[in-house]
Amino acid sequence: MTGATTGRLRELSRRTALGALGAGIVGATVASWPRLSGSDIPGRGDNSLSIAIMGTSADAAARQRAIDAFTRLHPDIRVKVQAIQAVDWKDFFTKILTMVAAGTPPDVVYVATEGAQLFADKLAHPLDEYLRRDAADMAEFFDDVHPSLVEAFMYKGSLFQLPMDWNAANMYYNTTAFGQAGLERPADDWTNVDFRNNLAAMRKARPSDFTPYYWTNRLFGGVVPWLYANDTSFLKETRSAGGDWLWDSFYANDPSRNLRSGGYQWLEPNADDPRVFETFDYLRGLVKDGLGVRPEEGGGSSLVGLFASNRIGTTPAGGYWVQGLHEAGMKENDYDVAFFPKWRSQRHQFGTAGYAIMKTAKDKDAAWEWIKFSASREAMELIFPNPVTTPARRSMVNEALYAGKGPAHWKVFYDTLDKYPTTGPIPAPPQQAAVETALMKNVSLAVSGDERQLKQALESMQRDLELALRRQS
Amino acid sequence: MSTTIPRRDRPKQAAKAVKAVKPGTPATSQTASGRHSQRWLAWIFLAPTILGMGLFTLVPIAASVVLAFFRWDIISAPTFVGFDNFAEVVQDPTVRVSFLNTIAFVIVAVALQLGLALALAVMVQEKMPAWLRTFFRSAFFFPLILSAASVSIFMRYLFNEQFGVVNWFLSLAGIPAVPWLTTPGGSAAVVILVYVWQNFGFSFLLFIGGLASIPMETYEAASLDGATGWRKHVYVTLPLLSPTTLLASVMAIISALQVFDQPYVLTRGGPGDSTRTAVMVIFESAFQRLEFGEASAIGVILTLIIMAITAAQFRLSKRFVFYQ
Repeated sequence: MTGATTGRLRELSRRTALGALGAGIVGATVASWPRLSGSDIPGRGDNSLSIAIMGTSADAAARQRAIDAFTRLHPDIRVKVQAIQAVDWKDFFTKILTMVAAGTPPDVVYVATEGAQLFADKLAHPLDEYLRRDAADMAEFFDDVHPSLVEAFMYKGSLFQLPMDWNAANMYYNTTAFGQAGLERPADDWTNVDFRNNLAAMRKARPSDFTPYYWTNRLFGGVVPWLYANDTSFLKETRSAGGDWLWDSFYANDPSRNLRSGGYQWLEPNADDPRVFETFDYLRGLVKDGLGVRPEEGGGSSLVGLFASNRIGTTPAGGYWVQGLHEAGMKENDYDVAFFPKWRSQRHQFGTAGYAIMKTAKDKDAAWEWIKFSASREAMELIFPNPVTTPARRSMVNEALYAGKGPAHWKVFYDTLDKYPTTGPIPAPPQQAAVETALMKNVSLAVSGDERQLKQALESMQRDLELALRRQS
Repeated sequence: MSTTIPRRDRPKQAAKAVKAVKPGTPATSQTASGRHSQRWLAWIFLAPTILGMGLFTLVPIAASVVLAFFRWDIISAPTFVGFDNFAEVVQDPTVRVSFLNTIAFVIVAVALQLGLALALAVMVQEKMPAWLRTFFRSAFFFPLILSAASVSIFMRYLFNEQFGVVNWFLSLAGIPAVPWLTTPGGSAAVVILVYVWQNFGFSFLLFIGGLASIPMETYEAASLDGATGWRKHVYVTLPLLSPTTLLASVMAIISALQVFDQPYVLTRGGPGDSTRTAVMVIFESAFQRLEFGEASAIGVILTLIIMAITAAQFRLSKRFVFYQ
């Protein structure tokens, strides 16, 4: 063999090896292609009922006992729960919409008030036919659930979700801070003036490293409870006709039957209402006098820690806070909860959540069976063993749930509905995301400057809301 | 005596070297079939990248341009609306403000990013011993590898008006609490600060590379001509660093025009629209308002702006960039 031939062979074999390597990479890419498809998404590619919830994989695992119980009851229905992490509900809905855009929507989605009308309007299947069919089975559920929660899921006369849990904006207060300021527990009908006086007393008792009123710039627990208390809102609230089939079937004897409708409607902005100005001006005064913070947009993630470290006097929150405060080291007598202060009214704000069946669900009957099971007391006790939220069933909001954790006046949670039947949901039309943005972006400016800046911020809010409501309507 | 070839003669030397090895020596001789097979080999190696770019970059870009002429909410079928989306975008005050914010952000953030990176690169390259140089190179680059969202969440705590560490330090100096995230000026400052802190490391590394490639002889010659430290930087460092500066500025501007994570997590675009950026408006239009056509139209406009600015930079570079 000559040296030249040897060199050529060596060159050829190197090329062949390199070519084979390149072909191998292409081949591997092609071979791995199916792994990159949507078949990896839980519930896709098989007949499982795919359920999306907001939370972590730990939250999904926490539902496993409920899934096991459901599977024992319906061995023919396989369930897969997909937990989707999100900062807030708006973020969660964005991710669900991304799944819809990608052609991989879940069959059932756990939707809060913030997205209830968006889903009802575009994505969800009504539950009416199932409720009529299984009315006898469902009577016990409705007996145990306040109609205000159900009405929040009515849309144009149809019901799209069953409320599983909910939370009102109540007022948490630090008992130590109250004690230091010489304050007693507030009366149930305390007013916005009493509230301000209490904040001033706390400020006097603790001039530094302490905030008498900490609030966040969100749809829940931000400016809205104050607007409700002042008998107004940033959107005009009306009700649609219909829904009598449901109220007559399940709430015929309820004292608030006549208040019920076919669902809430928020069709027009209302930021130019003088009462809205008055409400913002009150909050602006709190900020100006150092009694309340200038709220950050979407803040709240650090709130439990700050409250538990005794650096906050009062803050609006719901029953979902109890477990967090307990885990942060607060004893049951370190804090308590009161109704939101009264102004022109004492209407409270709440948000609720429940499962919605997607229009695209492969097996809607199976989806309904899951919802029906989840609404049972057995399932709810499995899903909500701790006070991480307020269960929709009145009977579950009991001493046992709050034992050793507080608050002492835990009855305030469900009494917010029972004693105040006009208490209403967060204003969340189908254009909720745009509406929320229009509200939030103007709140900080409204409460941070002088009266002129407040007026400008509300004018801007009115314009932004008009634009938001016009879109996709 | 120096044996370095004068810089102006280097191209000639290189050309001579190429000529010297070109005539068909056995090591470099290639048959037509050899060249053909090498070409195929090149295509095989390029195929995964081309395929990936085509599927995940070019096709979505083309789809986005097409979508800009439709109204589509994901759920219903798309409707052709011609230029309506562009007309709506142009009339939308929020979109206008977000573009103005983005441009203001680019001007301030890029100037700070490049200025800081250059100053630190010069300091590290000239004043530090070798072991500290390595340390600072890593330290300044480190923020870039962190997730922008995580950094922003962390910064949000630091800049909290009531309980943040930044205000605590300021209070030690007797400075009252600054409403960093709740006033237009404060929030814009924090967004810029966090963005620059996280991104200047890349420009810093480019400048370090550029500074290392400037021959010492040039500085020696400048010294012989009587140039002092500051004048050396102005008349030697900056001109010879201009190709690096061009590259760093092009990349910094393109990146800054697409800023999203920091303002989204830190301020959600507020208060008001004070920190709302063009990409935030794209996200909000698409995934919050379900107006994918309008979002695509904003995306197309932003792409055209980025292309125009980059083209202008390269055009201007012919006058201001000095290639050795």
